[in-house]
Amino acid sequence: MSVIRSQDAQTEGIPVTSCWNCRAAVTGAHFCAACGKVQPLPAGASYFAFFGLPQKLTIEPASLEGQFHMLSWKLHPDNFVRASEFERNLSLERSSQLNDAYRTLRDPIARVEYLLEHLGVRKEGTTRQQAPPELLEEVFELNESLDELRDARAAGGDVAALQGRLEAAQQNFQEGLDDVDTELAALGREWDAAVDFGGDESKKQALLARMNETLNRRAYIRNLVAGVAKELGS
Amino acid sequence: MGRVVGIDLGTTFSLIAYLDAQTGSPKCIPGPYGSTLCPSVVSVDRDGKVIVGEPARAKLLTQPERTIYSVKRLMGRGVADVQDELKIFPFRIDPGSDNVIRVRLGDKSFTAPEISAYILRELKSWAEAYFNEPVDRAVITVPAYFNDAQRQATKDAGRLAGLEVLRLVNEPTAAALAYGLHKQKRGHVAVYDFGGGTFDISLLKLISTNEGDIYQVLATNGDTHLGGDDIDNALLDLARREIREKFGVEFDHRGEAIQTLRKSLIRAKHELSSAQRTIVQYPLESKGMYVREITRAEFEELIRPIIARTMAPVKMALADAKLAPQEMDEVVLVGGSTRIPLVRKTVGDYFQRAPHCELDPDEVVALGAAVQADILETGVKTMLLLDVTPLSLGIETMGGVIAKIIPRNSTIPASAQELFTTGVENQTAIDVHVLQGERELAKDCRSLARFQLKTPPGPAGLARIEVKFLIDANGILQVAARDLRTSEQHTVEVQPSYGLSDTEIERMLEESIEYAEQDFAERQVIEARTEAETILAATDKALADPRSREISAAERKAVADSEAHLRAALAGGDYKLMRTRIDEINAATAHLAEVLMNGALQTAFEGKRLDDV
Repeated sequence: MSVIRSQDAQTEGIPVTSCWNCRAAVTGAHFCAACGKVQPLPAGASYFAFFGLPQKLTIEPASLEGQFHMLSWKLHPDNFVRASEFERNLSLERSSQLNDAYRTLRDPIARVEYLLEHLGVRKEGTTRQQAPPELLEEVFELNESLDELRDARAAGGDVAALQGRLEAAQQNFQEGLDDVDTELAALGREWDAAVDFGGDESKKQALLARMNETLNRRAYIRNLVAGVAKELGS
Repeated sequence: MGRVVGIDLGTTFSLIAYLDAQTGSPKCIPGPYGSTLCPSVVSVDRDGKVIVGEPARAKLLTQPERTIYSVKRLMGRGVADVQDELKIFPFRIDPGSDNVIRVRLGDKSFTAPEISAYILRELKSWAEAYFNEPVDRAVITVPAYFNDAQRQATKDAGRLAGLEVLRLVNEPTAAALAYGLHKQKRGHVAVYDFGGGTFDISLLKLISTNEGDIYQVLATNGDTHLGGDDIDNALLDLARREIREKFGVEFDHRGEAIQTLRKSLIRAKHELSSAQRTIVQYPLESKGMYVREITRAEFEELIRPIIARTMAPVKMALADAKLAPQEMDEVVLVGGSTRIPLVRKTVGDYFQRAPHCELDPDEVVALGAAVQADILETGVKTMLLLDVTPLSLGIETMGGVIAKIIPRNSTIPASAQELFTTGVENQTAIDVHVLQGERELAKDCRSLARFQLKTPPGPAGLARIEVKFLIDANGILQVAARDLRTSEQHTVEVQPSYGLSDTEIERMLEESIEYAEQDFAERQVIEARTEAETILAATDKALADPRSREISAAERKAVADSEAHLRAALAGGDYKLMRTRIDEINAATAHLAEVLMNGALQTAFEGKRLDDV
């Protein structure tokens, strides 16, 4: 379990700037420690930094949620209705970042995707679907069954047997998906350990590459499952 | 600055509420007829005067061609969107209408936000009479499932009514707020809001923190065209069919007769919430009388498909929130249609618990809005609403496919950044099309806006323009662009696909101020004229009195001259001139009045003076 530090925790790599209002030094904090005014988002700050978290993949959900509620209370535009337009915009920027960050970090898969994107391993929005070699045979059979089902439907033939075969295949792939998720979680723990104990850079890069490959495999299987579900549902 | 209020701008009824500082609880304000419900009906009489609420509802029967109800169904929509509605509702759409519907009322036409603004103005006047103070800021509620255009149209209506809209709040969320205050409960709450024209389901989590209570919406879903209106129309279809078959009488769906029939069917619907049977009687002039008994069982069969339509959004919201029906700790019913026993039973069975209906389902939304208005106004935060965007936001990509950039049920404010570049050499503009909806193809989603990013000519892919899409706390989209190569802000001129542009709003505002001045002038003329006529009658009477001969001939002439001047002023329309002439005649007759101390004249003048005080 990772411990979430205070919401204004300073995070490495964020440059020191001065408060727009009182000129005191601020380092990525939501509010100026001196005058309490809401601060602009530093360029390139990550979702992890927003919550004062290290770039690790194990996050305790209840703790993250509590932090989300506490920050919402402080940053929500409701607090700034009577503030200047400049401050209203800062609140809008910060609170939308808060919601985007929480939405991403609370989901274990989105969290990995985000980390890879943030570290430049993965390009945003580009999910390369990779057919897992060990599944190739099964995928081939599945596609065949799907074709047969469509043909049988079009010809008005008996589809019950085919449907049963597809349901079994769907079950099989769903289990495959669960396996991939377990694998991803294990890689995540390895990554966290590497961060904690200052693992060497090449090891970290190798872990990131493996996570990326696993995500691609996951996307491929998930699409298969969704495709079968759609076909069975129609 | 004036007072702040919360307004529920409903399909059938609208309400206005405020937070009572003494008791700390919200309260709805009654109108001149004693009820807190203002029928959302607007009528324009032959003189061009706008009538709102109860008196307008009466005009629905006598002047249907000058009267409109359920205008909320037209908010933020284009003509193509409302084709189904036009078959059932007696809307008269201007032929020139396209993406902004104009409704004809008599010889003038109005947009939906303008008509809604009349309703808001009426409510505002109720509150101003109640407080004896101006009201200038409001929280207005909208159905949770309203899209960007529908929200924008509501905000425009507020602006046109002279209200600063502090926030648009989703109706079920406002209801949850009023309910939460009332019950002090924690946990998962489902709000089933079945109103006159819209259906919403919102699933919330109520959390106590050290600072205060948070109402976090987990998921929302709904249908902005499903409500009590549809039940009325189902009854109307049945009656029209039977009348056609039995009596050979066909109704014009825009005529007066159908409004009378509709009214008696709505009464029957209301009665069937408590009674097991009711009788509808409708006279068909020479053809006889349509008499029809409707039993509760038959009514329930008729409306079962309509109620079934509410359950699909309920299931989708639960799936999005990853919750099972039995995981909800409380179920709250909102909206007039939840008075129907079959609705209560259907909801209760599904969630496996008795739904709450102890708060007035008509008032609860306005009460919640008043609480939120007070928080925003005073800055004293006792609770926080965290709402979501009901629909995914996307941009059109190659081949008309949508790329979703903000998923539905994201907590708002929410944002997404996209990087745009040029695809071909020397391209100088990049087209961006923003849409809302869950479907895969742009043509199946709701177009929100289009805009162009201008860039100097250069090799393909050189331009780097970052666009930030932000959905604010009202659920309304804002767009900002930045050129990453120059770090300069990029101006974006967003052309909304539906609704009014800022320029149009400005023009309407100017017109409404002009009209307000015109209305004021008209009232002044009427008042001055009435006063002048009283004075002229009294003066004539005084001059006819024998005792008036005690004053000099010169004085008598001065009085007669001032009478002539006043009469001349009355022939014109200038109330200021009338006022001057009234002052003159008052001065000229002062001595005459004194002379006739004991006469009828004196009484007349003093009476007049007392009125003036």
